[in-house]
Amino acid sequence: MSVSLVYMILTYDLSPLESSTMSQLLQRTQPLLDVPALQFWLDKAVAWGQADRPDTLKDTCLHMSRLKDYLQQLLTHINNMSSTSETMKRLPLLGQFLGRLCWNPCVTADAPGRWLLFQCLWGLYSEHPGDAVEAKANQWIRKVLCQLATEEDDAAAQALMKRTGVPPKEYHVKVLRKMVAMLQENIGKSCSSLVDINYRCSCDNLLAVSEACVPLVSLPEAAPLIRALLQQPATCVRAALSQDFLDALTSAYSSKCVLLEEQEVVSLWYHSLSSLEEAVLSLLECVLPDTGYTPQELKRQLAQSLLPKACAQHCSIFLVVNDIFRSFLKQAEGNESLKYLIQTFSSCFFRELALLQHKTSGSLKASFPQSPQSLLIPLWTRPSEMPQEAWRHHLNWLSCSLQRLTEEEEEGDEDGSRSPRGHLRVFEAWFLLIQCAHWVQVAVQLLATSQPEDCGPPLWLLTFYHHPTNRGHHRASQLVHAKEAWDHLCSLFLAHPLPVDRVQSLVTLLSPKPQPTSPSPFLILSLLVNFCVFFQQSLSGSTEILQTVVNRSGLVNEAVCVLSSLELRLNEDSCLSSDTNRVHLRIKALQNTLTHMCAALNPANTHTQTLITEPRSRKFILDAGFLRAPLQNDK
Amino acid sequence: MEAVLKNLSSTAELLAVAARSSVVEQWDKQTLSRAFHWARYCEHLFSRFHNNTTINRVMGKQLELTNESLRAVFPGYTDICFSDLFQCQHLLLIGLLKNPDLPISIMKILFDTASPVNNQQSDYLDVTGFCSHIIQCKSACKVLSPLTDLSGADVEVQGAVLMERLEDLLSGGGEACRTEHIVNSFLQEGEGASGHFCLVIAAALLTRNNSAAAAAQTASQDCLLDWLQKEQNVLQQMCSALPTTLIIDLAKRHLKCRDAYCDVLKKWASSMEYSMSEGEWVQANTNRTVSFQRLTEHFLALFAACPSLREDVEKELNVLNISDGDFDVRGLSVWGDLLSAINK
Repeated sequence: MSVSLVYMILTYDLSPLESSTMSQLLQRTQPLLDVPALQFWLDKAVAWGQADRPDTLKDTCLHMSRLKDYLQQLLTHINNMSSTSETMKRLPLLGQFLGRLCWNPCVTADAPGRWLLFQCLWGLYSEHPGDAVEAKANQWIRKVLCQLATEEDDAAAQALMKRTGVPPKEYHVKVLRKMVAMLQENIGKSCSSLVDINYRCSCDNLLAVSEACVPLVSLPEAAPLIRALLQQPATCVRAALSQDFLDALTSAYSSKCVLLEEQEVVSLWYHSLSSLEEAVLSLLECVLPDTGYTPQELKRQLAQSLLPKACAQHCSIFLVVNDIFRSFLKQAEGNESLKYLIQTFSSCFFRELALLQHKTSGSLKASFPQSPQSLLIPLWTRPSEMPQEAWRHHLNWLSCSLQRLTEEEEEGDEDGSRSPRGHLRVFEAWFLLIQCAHWVQVAVQLLATSQPEDCGPPLWLLTFYHHPTNRGHHRASQLVHAKEAWDHLCSLFLAHPLPVDRVQSLVTLLSPKPQPTSPSPFLILSLLVNFCVFFQQSLSGSTEILQTVVNRSGLVNEAVCVLSSLELRLNEDSCLSSDTNRVHLRIKALQNTLTHMCAALNPANTHTQTLITEPRSRKFILDAGFLRAPLQNDK
Repeated sequence: MEAVLKNLSSTAELLAVAARSSVVEQWDKQTLSRAFHWARYCEHLFSRFHNNTTINRVMGKQLELTNESLRAVFPGYTDICFSDLFQCQHLLLIGLLKNPDLPISIMKILFDTASPVNNQQSDYLDVTGFCSHIIQCKSACKVLSPLTDLSGADVEVQGAVLMERLEDLLSGGGEACRTEHIVNSFLQEGEGASGHFCLVIAAALLTRNNSAAAAAQTASQDCLLDWLQKEQNVLQQMCSALPTTLIIDLAKRHLKCRDAYCDVLKKWASSMEYSMSEGEWVQANTNRTVSFQRLTEHFLALFAACPSLREDVEKELNVLNISDGDFDVRGLSVWGDLLSAINK
């Protein structure tokens, strides 16, 4: 457009007719809050106000969340309008609608509902009323609010208040508390309807009561009732809680409108799948990239979480949590933080289970229905539960069993009989290994002190841990490279002075863009760190090697992580040996070195590699089914 | 005492100003909190001294003086008396909300949907959400009431409150006439309330207090029972209007109730005549509260709950039957027919 044309349009005075047409045009193109929607809700409000039948209250409770969404829209609309008169012109039924809602106890009992309603009223209040409509609106708003807060419709109650000197507020609170107590008592009555399904038990009541409690979830006086509802054992078929109630409680809990005790939270998770999923996903946010959680921080997060305890109490919760873990794992094989989280979660779960004094084997089997049963107990047994001398033997057995399992599946693959079931078995075995990764850590530790002839099985286990799928049959070469790395490390630690070529080869293996045939840099890094700690070499020597390799490859942060998780494991397992003190001192010294290296790094120049892969979104996880073909097509 | 009386006056003035003056335009959150603080103070005064006739009178006099001066200032001023002060905060609230000059910002504070934390007791209580909380409680009661029983929580609460007041009275020096005053005042509410009133009395008599106040509760329940025995028509009303299960609970709980109930039943029986046209025993008086059938059911229920009573009552009925002639024919003696109905 030429400048002159633009200038003309800007200065052109619209004639009155044209300007009104223009504004009409604008009106039509603006997204109007349509009158039909308001009519719909007004009709609903009229119906709800009609009779005090229990089902009108029920209907209101069922519509509560949609009603609140609509009120939010209305509120935005009201706030966007320049004046109340304009609002009333656009939506003449608005006053009637809001007025009816004011007298609907479901709406006014519900905290967010009440807030939205009052905000709408405030929105319609004009500080300086411009015309009769606005003045009238102001008057009406004051009147309605006054009535709501002060009117007493129960004559007998009023008389009692006067005769006995109990003020209205106190009286109403008393009545409410009494109601809650009465309902709570009814719920508490145990039900033995397992005997005869035709027997009317009090559990029929549960659904009705929970529905009625939808607007009351954040009311402190109703807390005992909510607690009683949540803690009802679900032994009776009729003992179902309303889904709307569970959803309302979940959202109140996550927006901190209500404080729930531990057991109540566990019960909520038990009853409501969506609230459990939300809790697990918020825990998993720690392991998203860019959050930079250290192993200590992850451990602390888990210590604060109620999820392990909930899993120990209810097998069904554990199964759901595991399914979510599986989903995440399938999306991000290389995410070391995720694997560490899962490992730590499992050990917390294990501790909680022990506290509950369950018979370990029975409940274990129930908790891991999909895992290869022969591997379950051997993997689940912690290294601290057996003498250190037995570790190697045990590890070898584990490695061989897993190897056999994967070979079976891969043979089937070669025949062309690609059974998804087979791949599932391998995946499940790998998942179990992740949960019991203490054995992988033991493998790495042993590798630091192994002879060449002993390092086969631990190396295989380590490689499998980092590369469960044998994509393009790369495992063989990955193993070869892993052995190479191990060799390099051995010679580094044995030789004086430091052989430069060996260092270089190691650094190459740790490069940021690993070849598909070479093992994960994290694998090699954990080997390095374990060598530094456990190899019989002087501290200064180990430190020099660590510094050199880490410096050249730029993996300081990752090295710190590996060292921390090693320290945490040793602290936890608290296996006392003559070596313990020496080991801890050495770890501390190495940590100091690394900390200095971190500090020396220019903050602006953090070109540290992250070995954690691309982010994932919650929605993606929930949309993707839990079961997906584990093998992805590769080159 | 001087200071207290002065405070009392000041609060009465505060109430008047809050309701009628445009000064409220200047109020802010602090002023509001302070106002409610004073109102609470007066409520406290009431609960401390309303039983004490001397102080009651002194306070009343002070208020009269204040009323006089306020009447001069505010046209159409309604007097306030000491007995109104139990709900001083409520009066303040009504006054404020009806005052057209109350700034909308103050209203917003009162109606703010505050988080639960704000409602805790503190020195200068935060009045944020004061009205919101009231509305929430009232609405919650309405939401839950369809789920509760016939007698309802409000009846139980009223019964409990009645008990509390009686305990208060008795512990404070036992002015028995005041007991009657309180209980009688319920009757004054008119016919409509009487059925409800029976439920309240029953609830009051059935309240159970597990704490140390059990002795006080027994004393006040006794007091109530004594009053009840003097009020025959209330007793009869209770026996006819209340559900049988409730009456039986009362009979099991209080011996006096059991005996009173038994007496009422016997009185009902003695008021019956045999009607040839209906072929049944009916009450002679114009308002027939109970049928013969129902009377039998009452007796049976009472015996089921209190088996020890059966023998004595049957003996008594027998004696009465004998005095009536001891005939074996139906329709001649209500006692005989009653006996045979019970023993069927």
